[in-house]
Parts: sequence; structure tokens; C-alpha cells
Amino acid sequence: MRLSLTLKSASFKLTAAYAMLFAVSVGMLATVTYLSVTGELSREFHGRILAEVDALKADYRAGSARQVLRAITDRQRGRLMDGLDYTLIDSQGRHLFGSLPAQPCKAGWITLIGPPDGDEAPGQMERLRVFVQPLPHGLCLMVGDDWGEIQDFGSLILRNFGWVFLLSLTLAVGGGFLLSSKFLKRIETINRTAEAIIGGDINRRVPRRSAPDDLDRLAATLNRMLDRTCELTDRIRHQSNDIAHDLRTPLGRLRRLMEPEGKAGWTSRQYERLLEQGTAEVDSILELFDAILRISQIESGSRRGGFQRFCISQLVADICETFAPSLEEGGKTIVQHVEPGLFILGDPELLTVSLANLLENTAVHTPAGSVVTVSLCSDGDCVALAVADDGPGVPQEDRIHIFQRFFRLESSRSTAGNGLGLSMVAAVADLHAARLSTADNGPGLKIDMVFARAS
Amino acid sequence: MTILLIEDEKPLAEYLRGNLDVCGHGVDHVARGDDGLGLALSTPYDLLIVDRMLPALDGLSLVKRLRQAQNRVPVLILSNLGGLDDRVEGLNAGADDYLAKPFAFSELLARVNALLRRPLRGSDEPSLLKAGDLQLDRLKRKVTRSGQPIALQPREFSLLDYLMVRQGQVVTRTMLLEGVWNYSFDPKTNIVETHVSRLRSKLGGDMIQTVRGSGYMFRAPVPDAEVG
Repeated sequence: MRLSLTLKSASFKLTAAYAMLFAVSVGMLATVTYLSVTGELSREFHGRILAEVDALKADYRAGSARQVLRAITDRQRGRLMDGLDYTLIDSQGRHLFGSLPAQPCKAGWITLIGPPDGDEAPGQMERLRVFVQPLPHGLCLMVGDDWGEIQDFGSLILRNFGWVFLLSLTLAVGGGFLLSSKFLKRIETINRTAEAIIGGDINRRVPRRSAPDDLDRLAATLNRMLDRTCELTDRIRHQSNDIAHDLRTPLGRLRRLMEPEGKAGWTSRQYERLLEQGTAEVDSILELFDAILRISQIESGSRRGGFQRFCISQLVADICETFAPSLEEGGKTIVQHVEPGLFILGDPELLTVSLANLLENTAVHTPAGSVVTVSLCSDGDCVALAVADDGPGVPQEDRIHIFQRFFRLESSRSTAGNGLGLSMVAAVADLHAARLSTADNGPGLKIDMVFARAS
Repeated sequence: MTILLIEDEKPLAEYLRGNLDVCGHGVDHVARGDDGLGLALSTPYDLLIVDRMLPALDGLSLVKRLRQAQNRVPVLILSNLGGLDDRVEGLNAGADDYLAKPFAFSELLARVNALLRRPLRGSDEPSLLKAGDLQLDRLKRKVTRSGQPIALQPREFSLLDYLMVRQGQVVTRTMLLEGVWNYSFDPKTNIVETHVSRLRSKLGGDMIQTVRGSGYMFRAPVPDAEVG
């Protein structure tokens, strides 16, 4: 099982492929070396014999057969070790010198096989390459040399390359096997971790090594992904809890409304009021779900397709005008500083909802007599929208949380709202790639949204 | 007035049929989209109430086919899809109004009545609206009562225009948000109420009446002379 896994592993296959490639290149190298070395040797071999023949021919022309014989004898004595074989035969077929068998006297190369002379491999015959040169007066000169040496040298090259080939192939396969099983072991660790996580141990992580390599980087990325997934799962669990919690309150009130206790002898008018209250509770639950769905839809980014260029100055002024009477009724004043003629690319409807949410937020969380300032101004390539109030504000440690779903300040738990208004603002800001931030308005809260300005 | 209700959710269909009947509207009901289209094309109805999700032929396709056949009967779409784009999609398909479920029956009734009394599309919109001694000039954007000008904010002007066009009809808060503010969401702030009450105090008298649990209704003012 383990073996077949290793053999099937990508790393082993890769090593095998490399080994194959290496083998082919060794083969090619061997061929080229063999051909060029044997070629060169054989050229030299033949050249030497021809030079010898030429020299003897010149000797003959200068003198006679006797001069040739003397020259041959001198040469043989001079080169004892790698002496060439010389044979001179006269027109009657008598050997004047040497012992090579008589051949038809025609200029050219012949190969002679003779009994071993001691330097051949056991069982091999002596092979001679001989040049036959007819001389005047029916003389026949033969000069030859041991041809087997060169051929042996060629075989030696091939044999050595063969060994190198075998050795490297063994190393490649063995090394590949070792590497693969090591690699597989680490993959197996990752696999086991994943299995453990599937099995419910969601806090398990892939162990890291001290020396970072590819696999270690992969492990790090996997761990980061797992952390992120855990975080998201956590958030979803949190939100489910929050939704459940937020639903319990209106459902509990609804339950109490419908209790039969204390309703004996009620008039139809009283029941009518009860139904109205019940409907209002149900509406608030529906509203909660609508808000959740709406935020999800915004977060999906599908609305980005409908972005258009519009005048945000007009939009802000319109909303301020719309909300001013309601805020004034609550004893608050709305002050606008809107720079006219500013355009952005976006979804006017969603920005209307966001700004409405921001204004409603201030309306709910500030006391009578507060001043709400809405400002819109251009800043280079940006358009900055700010909604500020001079109410009680939000403590700094809570300010980063106010855009989270269902987040509500302890101090405002009793006020109306579901903790989704600012989450919607955050989702809309995100959709528009706008920078959303909060600041202390000293006193009060200031929320800034910075958009890219459309030309 | 006969209404064709095309709705596959049986309890809802029964509920609507019963209540519309009480309000004096005869209702024919079919559950399938294709049946509804056939019936709408062969019988002259005053209004169609069409569910968006229907078996055989969905509501939007039904309305599109109806309009392609040059049938201009007013159509109100009911839908579980109350998302941001769904309303626009419904109206673009050729529907006259769009109501997301769940809804209050009073909301549906107000919209049904508004659609039934709506002048056929294409007829010229008057530039001058009159109700008793109250006049609204759309071109000059001026409102006068007994010849005396009344200064209104732009939003108050649109609000009065919307109400005067629908004299004697119940207009719900949502209808005003959609028609006057073009808001498809419901702000928690009482913007409609404050604007209505400001308009009311500027106009004087009780032209804009509050209909409990439903909305508002505009009634032509009784001339002072008659009161006196």
C-alpha cells in the first residue's frame, strides 16, 4: 500500500521522469563521445600506416628493395612497443620480410584476422588493418597494425558509459523513492490534520517546520485559511445567536400579549388594540429579517452592476430636507454644509438608505437640543461625507464595533433599533469602496465616508 | 369592478378573495400562470393581481406577454421577493404596482383602489389640479387657496400633488414613500407623518385626513362660505 502510494506520488513520477531524461542525455553523450573518439583514433591509425607506406615508397624510389628492407628493419627496431607489422613480398611470392600472408597486390586497405598475439581479450582473434602497396618490379609492400586496440577502446568507452548510466539511474530511482516517501509523509500529516478537522477538532493545525520550504509555506497558508474559516464560522455562530436573541424579545412580548390571563371581559376595542400591538411586534420581526437579507444582498456585490454617476450633493441635500422636520420635532437641529455639484459613481438608492440610517441613528441616540451636522465636501479626487452630532458619543473602545451586526451599546439597549443600521452603512460603504471611519466629535460621534469622485 | 387574481398560494388566495369581496370587488381566481394569461386575454378585467412565482408561467413573463398583446389592464404584482432590485424589475416588466409579501390587507386595498381609479395611461396629465377652492399649478409650481398663495417646500408640493391626484382615495404611508420620495425602503423615522402634518398646517382645514391603520385621504375643502 505504502509502496504503491510512493510509486504513484507526484514527486516520484517527477524524479522518474528526470531520471529518464538523464538517461537519454547520458546515452546521447556516450554516442557522441564514442563516435568522435573512435573516428579520431581510426583517422590517426590509418594516417600513421599511410605515412609509413609513403616513407617506404620514397625509400624505394631512392634506392632499391634492399634499401626498403633496411629501412623496415630500422623502423622495427626503433619502435619496439607499438611496432607496425611490415611485410615485403617479391614477384615470385617469397617473403623478403615479415610474415603477413600474401595478398593480391592491389593498392588498398584490407583487414586480416590472425591468431591472438597476447594483447587481446581471451578468445578474441588478432585483427589487423593492413595497407597493401604495390612497388615496381612486382614487389608488394604491406604495412599493418593491430586494429583490435581501437575497437577495444571504443567498447571500453561504451562500457564505462553503461556503468555510469546504470549507477545514475539507480541513484535517481532510489533518491526519488526516498524523497517521495519523505514528501508523502508530510502530505500525510496535512491529510491527517484535515481529517481531524473534518472529524470536529476544528482547532487542529498543520505542524510547521523550523526551516521554511514550499510545503511549509503551503502548511502556513492552509493554517491561515483554517484560522479565517474558524473566524467566519465563529462570526456566523455569533450572528445566529444574536438573531435568536433579537427574535426572543419581540416573540416574548407577542407571547405575553396573547396570554388569556387578565383579558376576561375585554371589549372589542381592547382586543383591537391588542391586535395592533401584535401586528407591530410581527412587523418588527419582519423588519429585522428584511434588514438581514438586505445587508446580505449588498454584501454579495450584485448591486455594483447598476452603478451610475449621480450628483451626491443633490442626494444629501434632499435627505437633509426630508429628515429635518422629524429631527426638529424631536428638538434637534440639522445643519448642512453641502458643496454643490459633486458627483460620484454608485447606487443612489443605497446611499439614500445609508444616509437615512446615519440620520436616524443620531435621532435615536442624541438628546433633545442636539445639533446634527451633515457635511459634504470635495478633497482632491475624493468626496467626503460626514455626519456628526454633539450627543453623548461612543466610547473609543466601542467605536470599532459599531459597524458589526447586532452591536449595541450597553447604554442604548433600551432604545429602538436592531443594531443593523450601521452594519448596512458599512456594507454600502464597502460596496462603493468608500473609506468608512469614526471619530470623536468632542462631544459626540462623527462618522466619515470618503468616496472616489467621479469626473 | 372585477379583478382577476392569479395566485397559487391557496390560503392567501382565499383570504384576498373574501376580503376584496367584502369591499365590493368581484374576484375571479386561477392558480396557474398560463391559465391566468389565457383568461386575462379573453375576458375584460378591471385589474389583475398577479403573484410573481407561479406554476407554468411566472408572473413577470405573464405581464410581459400581456403587454406584448397590447393589453393595458392595470397589473399589481405580489411577490415574496422584496429585494432592492425586485421592485424595479417588476415595474420594468410592465406592471403598474408592486407589493412585497407579507403585506397588510389595507395596503393592498389602497393600491387596488388607486389602480382602479387611475386614468388610463397615455391620457394627458392636467397642468392644473383643483379641489374646491384649492388650486395646484404644476407648471408654475404654485399652490393657492381662494386666490391666496401658499408657500410650500418642494417636497410638500410633490406630496400635495400626489394626494390631490388621488382625491377621496386612501393613500398609504408606503405609497407616499414610493411616490413622493421614491424610497423603496421604510425609514424608521416618521418623515411621512411630519411632512403631512406640516402640509396640513400650511393648507389649513382638514383636507388631509388620517385613515386609522391605513394612511391618509385627501378631501376637497368645503368652501368657507358654505361652512359659515
